[in-house]
Amino acid sequence: MINLDELKLEDSKALTAKCFHGEPASCSFACPFQLDVRSFLRRASEGKWAGAYKAYRNATVFPVIVSTLCDQPCQNRCQRTLLGDEAIAVRDVEKACVKYVKNRKPQSYSIPPKTEKIAVVGAGVAGLSCALNLAQKKYNVTVFDKEDNLGGVLRTHPDFPAFAEDIKLQFSAVKVDFQFNHEINSLAELAEFDAVYIATGAGGEDFGLLESWNDEVFTTAKDKIFMGGMLTGATLMEGIAQGNLLSKIIEGYLQTGRASLGYVSYDKDYCGHYLEHEDAVSMPKVIASSSEGYTEEEAKQEAARCLFCDCDKCLTQCEMLKRFKKNPHIIAVEAYNDIKANPPYSTRSLTRQTYSCNLCGYCKSICPESVDIGEVLRLSRRARMNANIHPAALQDFWLREMDFATTTGAYTSAPKGKEQCEYAFFPGCQLGAAAPGYVLQSYSYLAQNYDTGIMLTCCGAPAYWAGDDKRLEDNLAKIKVDWAKLGNPTLIFACATCRLMFKQFLPEINTISLYELLAQDEELMPAQPFAEAAVFDPCNARGNEEMQQSVRKLAQKAGINITELKDKNRCCGYGGLIRLANPSLYDEIAENRVNASEKPYIVYCANCREVFSTRGKESLHILDLVFGTGENRKVPTLLEKRENSLEVKKELTAEISGTAFTPDKQPWDDLTLLIDDEIQKEMEEKLISAVELKEAIWQAETTGEKFYDESEGISLTSMIKPVITYWVEYKEVGAQTYQIHSVYYHRIRFKEEG
Amino acid sequence: MAAKERKWKCWKCSEELVKQQVLFTYLGHTFSHDLPTCPKCGRVFIPKELADGAIAEVEEQLEDK
Repeated sequence: MINLDELKLEDSKALTAKCFHGEPASCSFACPFQLDVRSFLRRASEGKWAGAYKAYRNATVFPVIVSTLCDQPCQNRCQRTLLGDEAIAVRDVEKACVKYVKNRKPQSYSIPPKTEKIAVVGAGVAGLSCALNLAQKKYNVTVFDKEDNLGGVLRTHPDFPAFAEDIKLQFSAVKVDFQFNHEINSLAELAEFDAVYIATGAGGEDFGLLESWNDEVFTTAKDKIFMGGMLTGATLMEGIAQGNLLSKIIEGYLQTGRASLGYVSYDKDYCGHYLEHEDAVSMPKVIASSSEGYTEEEAKQEAARCLFCDCDKCLTQCEMLKRFKKNPHIIAVEAYNDIKANPPYSTRSLTRQTYSCNLCGYCKSICPESVDIGEVLRLSRRARMNANIHPAALQDFWLREMDFATTTGAYTSAPKGKEQCEYAFFPGCQLGAAAPGYVLQSYSYLAQNYDTGIMLTCCGAPAYWAGDDKRLEDNLAKIKVDWAKLGNPTLIFACATCRLMFKQFLPEINTISLYELLAQDEELMPAQPFAEAAVFDPCNARGNEEMQQSVRKLAQKAGINITELKDKNRCCGYGGLIRLANPSLYDEIAENRVNASEKPYIVYCANCREVFSTRGKESLHILDLVFGTGENRKVPTLLEKRENSLEVKKELTAEISGTAFTPDKQPWDDLTLLIDDEIQKEMEEKLISAVELKEAIWQAETTGEKFYDESEGISLTSMIKPVITYWVEYKEVGAQTYQIHSVYYHRIRFKEEG
Repeated sequence: MAAKERKWKCWKCSEELVKQQVLFTYLGHTFSHDLPTCPKCGRVFIPKELADGAIAEVEEQLEDK
């Protein structure tokens, strides 16, 4: 467990360390030049030859030579071959790029000249590549060659005139002292130089240093003497790439006295990541219409065959990640930075995203490396809660609901007349609130068939989602005590979220789902409200095969033809309590789930049912089939939910304990409010319960602390709660009866409130 | 119904409301705004349009900071 008081950047970064989004593609790892092949081909496919050429030239130094002679090891790592297609003809596209780019003039850099002198022995491409790069950085470079011209081994190649022209062009913007017909016989001749690069070609002069050659940083036993190219067994292409790399190593050496790779090279030979490419279609290689190579259009088409391999599964499939457009590594860094921010000197940047995550685990389920961004954002929530810098209003409603469910709404008992039991039914707080009859019927069924007690309370999911460790731990401890008092029964769950919470935090408790027990009953015959339906598995039933299959079995028993959704266990929108933090995202997610199938849904989460039914989607809870008539139930208001929960407790207390449960009566409970549909809808959306309005009106009428419009006889009052201030405009229309005219709230406090 | 302009008076003080500077705080930030207030007892009136509009916007901005 991460210590929140001593949170380190590493703690946060470790959670996304395995994410490889943005890493070079597999082809780049194979490329001796480490060319970003993916972005080169992206630009080429768009005909952006200038950008493509610039990247290509910077990586390969001599674009004409490389685009003619490269043996394309990238093709062996091309992921298009996984589809059975030929690899992308990268070299042909490179050739086209060199051909169609308008301006190949090398860039001249205005940087101050350096004083250090570097000698390059050998004017082959390996030496020239190093010389050119160092000259571009304004070092004093001298190239020695015993022959009368540059080019080394390439001088006998039939295309040498074109190669020589390429070399000449690349050197046209720099100053290099070429010493031809000048054989170096002893390194003593180069004593005046600060660094020497020996690249004398295959079988060339090594000054007795080849054996001491270091193949990582290209040093030799002699200080300041570096060696590379075909002399050391490299291929021609590797030689050019080495020269490029060496220029950076030599520069580092001149600055620090040490030869090291620093950040100039990949830390591994091969990325090891092949993607699934589920939606990719097979595409044949583009054949050039002339022997001169690709036309511009053909080159663009061939480049467009690239799959542009980069893992962005979570970033494209999760609505939240798509909306915020931040990659997982940045999220991890910002999660840490936000905790350490000190406004107004430094501000936070991840708050809205932190509270916009459903914490549904979908990203983890589709990630090839099982990275869970939700875990990062929950860490952020926990750390904010711990440091008391969380916007409490975003989750206050659910935490108060949890407090109600774990106090006034809570009830634990062994079956009638017993102290302990083998099983106890844990219906969760939402099922009873939505449909009290189903909790009562389920309990009655279970009590008839099994030795079953009852545990009415909240599993603590709201506290878990809010990052409220204290509330969560206190509740778990209480549950554990109650469970032990019942004789450690197996708990029977109706809610996948409750069950997952127990699996994570109270693994010592045996659990089973209500639906599994119901599905085992051969005599039970559920209603068939529709012929066909799709089962919508809640996010928290992911991996819970038993629960998923039991629900299907019950639906099939009813004679319903089940359609499977393409994408399972997506969050309906409810998870993570994002509704107030990001209403438009909540709506988007809920709508996407509603539209995932035209078929009616069978759900087994009370929250999913509420989200879908509120949006007019035909959806029934599996218990609607088992215990109901299959008719569409109305979604209760927030006030009705509380009343339903109390009703469940009242009935069960009477039935099991034989005592009458009467909740503490509040003086405002007897007020009657007349609320029209439009206002009621607004209240439900904003999570304002009529309980709050009753209390506010009662207070105003008792104390006289209100505003009044004499001409209309209308009153307006506010009620200040710890996190929210509620306002209600109303008119008395009868004895203790009030017509509600408008309702609103705000989170800021004004001075009068103290 | 809510859109109708009302002539609010403080019930307790029978005073008409006058605009006064009111101090607001949220998440450690403080700012002020002129709002109709009872001149006698200082009871502040926040209209629905303000709560749903500018105040909600400010709240969101401060939550994000």
